[in-house]
Amino acid sequence: MSVKVRFFARFRELLGTEIIAEPANGSSIALLVDGIAQKNREGYNAIFDEHGTFREFVIVMQNGKRIETADAGTVIVADGDEIAIFPPVAGG
Amino acid sequence: MMIRIQTDDVDVAAMIAAAKVPGTGAVVVFDGIVRDDGITEMELEAYEDVAVAGLEKIAVEATERFGLLHVSIVHRIGRLAIGENIVVIVVSAGHRHEAYDGSRFIIDELKHTVPIWKKELTRDGGRWVDGEHGHGAGKPQE
Repeated sequence: MSVKVRFFARFRELLGTEIIAEPANGSSIALLVDGIAQKNREGYNAIFDEHGTFREFVIVMQNGKRIETADAGTVIVADGDEIAIFPPVAGG
Repeated sequence: MMIRIQTDDVDVAAMIAAAKVPGTGAVVVFDGIVRDDGITEMELEAYEDVAVAGLEKIAVEATERFGLLHVSIVHRIGRLAIGENIVVIVVSAGHRHEAYDGSRFIIDELKHTVPIWKKELTRDGGRWVDGEHGHGAGKPQE
């Protein structure tokens, strides 16, 4: 199974633009992102709090659709998914 | 309706010309500019597919709510100098109130919901512009 994980803005600078991951079947979004973010302590701390849960302002998308961070631990990733993780938006 | 995210500058005159569809009584142009807040440049990035879809949704909603006749939105990404255009929104309507209200609705929604980020570059490095905090805690957007 292959899943693309994309980070934007500050998270991108800390963790990389686009990561192709091969999670085990049944992996949740939270588990997948946690595993990738472990490679950079600052990046991990930007996204997750001391309990290892998504910080309240982090935005999570699966194939372009918002997923509530509270649900990211139970939403399972599928082959070909694109997961996006980003801070609050600031366009305009 | 014309929605784009691009690195190139924006042809505002062409956008105004395109907005003058039959029935137009007012065209409102919003042009967001890189302000000199002690920065050297600004760097913008977008989650492009999702940002374009988000802008299209806002344009449709504004058209329905305010009875707009035409909407174009061009948002730039990449490195921009002070004074450059960041985002240009051109709307037309039969009357000025609808055009003003529709234009304001679009820029306000854009700032809250569309995945675009700005980094202010300074002599010492750079700083990401804070987004709308708490947005991630809300209900998922459609």
